[in-house]
Amino acid sequence: MRVSMPTIFSYIQRNLQNLSEELFKINNSISSGQKYSSISDNPVDVGALLGLTTDSDQVSQYKRNLETANDWLAITESTLSDIGEIVRTCSVTAEQMATGTYNAAQRIAGAQTVQQMLDEAVQTGNTNYKGQYILSGYKIDSQPFVESAFTIQNPVMKLQPGSTGTAASGGAYIGTTTKTYVVEIVQGGVTGVATFRYSEDGGQTWSDPPVVTGAAVAVGTEGVNATFGGTWVAGDRFSIPVYEPITYQGDDNTLEIGIGRNSRLAVNQVGSDALGGTGGSTDIFDILAQLKSSLEANDPYEAAASLERLNTFQNQINATLAGLGASLNRVTIKNNVYDTLQGALTDNIAEKGDTDLVEAANALATTQLAYQAALASSTLVMNMSLLDYM
Amino acid sequence: MSGITSVLDIAAQAMAAEQVGVEVTSHNIANVNTPGYSRQVVNYETAYPELAPWGPMGRGVRVLNIERNFDRFIQARLDEKTATMAEYQAKSDQLEQVATFFNETQDDGLNAQLAEFWAAWNDLADNPQGAAERLALIRRAENLNDAFNSRADQLAQARQSVTQEIAPILEEVNTRAARIAQLTEEIQESEDGTQVNNDLRDKRQTEITEIEKLVGVSYYTTGDGTVNVIFPNGLPLVTGVTSFTLDYTISPTDTVDVTWNGPGGLVEHISSSLDGGKLTGLIEVRDTIIPQFQADFDNLAKEFIAAINSQHSQGVGLDLFTSVTGTYAVNDPTDPLNATDLPFGAEITNGTFQIFVDRNGAPHSNATITVDPTDTLDDLVNAINLSAVGADLTASVVNNQLNIVANAGTDSFGFAADTSNVLMALGVNTFFTGDSAYTLGINDTVADSPNMIAAGQIDVTTGLHPVGDNQNALALSDLENSAVITVGTDTLTVTDAFRRLISDLGLEAEQSATQAKFYQDQVNQFQAMRDDVSGVSLDEELTNLIKYQRAYQAAARLVGVADEMYQTLLSTKE
Repeated sequence: MRVSMPTIFSYIQRNLQNLSEELFKINNSISSGQKYSSISDNPVDVGALLGLTTDSDQVSQYKRNLETANDWLAITESTLSDIGEIVRTCSVTAEQMATGTYNAAQRIAGAQTVQQMLDEAVQTGNTNYKGQYILSGYKIDSQPFVESAFTIQNPVMKLQPGSTGTAASGGAYIGTTTKTYVVEIVQGGVTGVATFRYSEDGGQTWSDPPVVTGAAVAVGTEGVNATFGGTWVAGDRFSIPVYEPITYQGDDNTLEIGIGRNSRLAVNQVGSDALGGTGGSTDIFDILAQLKSSLEANDPYEAAASLERLNTFQNQINATLAGLGASLNRVTIKNNVYDTLQGALTDNIAEKGDTDLVEAANALATTQLAYQAALASSTLVMNMSLLDYM
Repeated sequence: MSGITSVLDIAAQAMAAEQVGVEVTSHNIANVNTPGYSRQVVNYETAYPELAPWGPMGRGVRVLNIERNFDRFIQARLDEKTATMAEYQAKSDQLEQVATFFNETQDDGLNAQLAEFWAAWNDLADNPQGAAERLALIRRAENLNDAFNSRADQLAQARQSVTQEIAPILEEVNTRAARIAQLTEEIQESEDGTQVNNDLRDKRQTEITEIEKLVGVSYYTTGDGTVNVIFPNGLPLVTGVTSFTLDYTISPTDTVDVTWNGPGGLVEHISSSLDGGKLTGLIEVRDTIIPQFQADFDNLAKEFIAAINSQHSQGVGLDLFTSVTGTYAVNDPTDPLNATDLPFGAEITNGTFQIFVDRNGAPHSNATITVDPTDTLDDLVNAINLSAVGADLTASVVNNQLNIVANAGTDSFGFAADTSNVLMALGVNTFFTGDSAYTLGINDTVADSPNMIAAGQIDVTTGLHPVGDNQNALALSDLENSAVITVGTDTLTVTDAFRRLISDLGLEAEQSATQAKFYQDQVNQFQAMRDDVSGVSLDEELTNLIKYQRAYQAAARLVGVADEMYQTLLSTKE
């Protein structure tokens, strides 16, 4: 083969150019820490990297969501535990007061304790997390539990044997404190003949003189009346509680948080299900108000009935707490899974996209050597000429 | 007639011949770096012998001709590969440029912006009434818009800059073609049929090679020294001493229409038959590759908009509308909705949607509107005005867009349960505007008032919409993992569709670069083969120089010898 000058020099140039390009690429990958600097460097790997990065971003986001879920569940759990504590305290009070050894004054003092506990329960039920009322369903901007206006409750009857007396409460309360009126038949007989007296302090002091029973007869001076019916026996009693019932203002929607692909976790408890505020036997606020009234009425039997209801509620709240615990556990497990996944993804991304420094440094040294060798041999070839010998 | 004179004669001829050798050698040395130069050699032959009594006698040397070392087959292969290499090189250069717009190997690429966008929806679902989350979502959506818009813009600009390269290329082809014709004329004038004008032929060959880099042609040389340069479809660029010109226009379908201007005003369209050369590569990039990529990117953006808007229009923000105007306009409010150039008109199906009116923040009235895709916008307006909310709201057509206004200052309204997609198609209660990567934008309604971002949904049984409702935000964040983009026969998630786009672009760029490199290697090989024949070797020339110099010296000595012979002869006379 004839070797001409253009051949020699173009080969030298091209080879040096290739080597310096190689050096530049290796250097670039070392200094940037990234294997690829353009999508055309390795479209398949770059595409895979994009997928891995997306997965990793998503896992990070789910972990953030889990934090929110955890906050919600934890704050709900602590709120319901607090309520459980209140229920237990009230149960103790109710249990003591259900025994006959306490007198009216002591029970009224007990009633005050229960009232405080009731207020505490309302406040706890209105727990606010980051400006959101956690028990309100979707209506997180409004308190779930509010006191409504004073309401005259239905009479709680305690009749003597043989009595057929009936009573209904009515009127419009104009007082400003909660109160329980105890009505006692002084002289028996049919309605209209029988007389009654009432007490505002659980029977410690009584109104005098007795008033004839009838329709819408005033009980006390604050707008409460009672409509009597049937035939009464002396010693028949009933009490008319007046208090501000707690009503639920939220809705019954469950707040869900995305914690994985197509996986959601309910993080809130609907206040009306968990605590009440809608009346009925599972409404803790109603149970406590009734307990309080029974104590005000110095009625150990009713106090015992309230204790029964408190125990039922305690079971209910324990079940709810168990459910929350399970959810929190799920959050923890999910978090662990995501930690592992995140680790694997990071490794994968690093393996695919990050420069292997050992490999790159090796390649750099090899290429450097090749470049130096090429420079040396090129100089040798370039310097040789017949001219030097002429 | 032999004699001393004859010796002198031979010596003189030899000196002249060797001098030609030295001259040609110096010409070679001088042109060692001239591109396209073919090494020349002097062909010597013995002079015609003279008849002598003792038989024909040699009469020394004569220069037969000066020949260039040139292999036209190798040159033809070299030119052919050069054309192909130039085509791929142009493609590769342009695609590498386009690939940098979509360089997802760097931080903050579109993929990252998409992830941020979805994350923002998740954050909003975690805290649906959060003002910070809402603002963050708008900012991230803006970033995403910028990412889509700027890339679409860069694609259009890349196309524009390719277009600007076409005219100079055609001008260069025309100039070089004219030069070839002129050189042919000069060659014909300077050659006598037996000797060739080496240097002019080299020059002409160089012009052809330069044309090959711009546009693929083939050529053949005829016996009389003319060359015909023709396009792959047979149309001539140069025939003999005549050259033709190329021109271009942008066709109505926005493609480059290269025209060949033949004799007598004859015009042929040759874009489709071009093969090889930078021009072919550029036209392919401009008219096929970039438009295809633009179409894919626009399709991605359009289906992304449809998916987000369709879900967003089901929901309700923290605040309700007091008035709303659709972002998409129909051509004519009396045309059926599915046939009036609405970008998403085809998505409308038979179905219903509900409107809820609040008075002083409490549910007041509501209506269910039935939609048929063949309804006109006027029909829809009438249906709303005649419905149960007609007394509280007024629907109308403003600038061919749907407009709904609450009649009383105490009223506001929202939408729910759209099974017809008509709200999305008209741009009512939507998040994005536009229908392509370039026009993608955020609906002013939500951009100006992030409270209008529909994180919740109206409870269709009660008409309530509490602020803690995150159903719609959850559904929107779920779209990240939903297959909503149709690519060919596949349905992919937004991220996967974008990833496929990037891989396709990367592969195309990589393939062009590989091909360019492959053909570059081939060109190098053929170039080496050509230089093997035609390239100047200085060592060889220096050897030749000495060879000719020594021969010249020897011939000069002959003169001396002849002189001595004359002197010897003359001295015998004394």
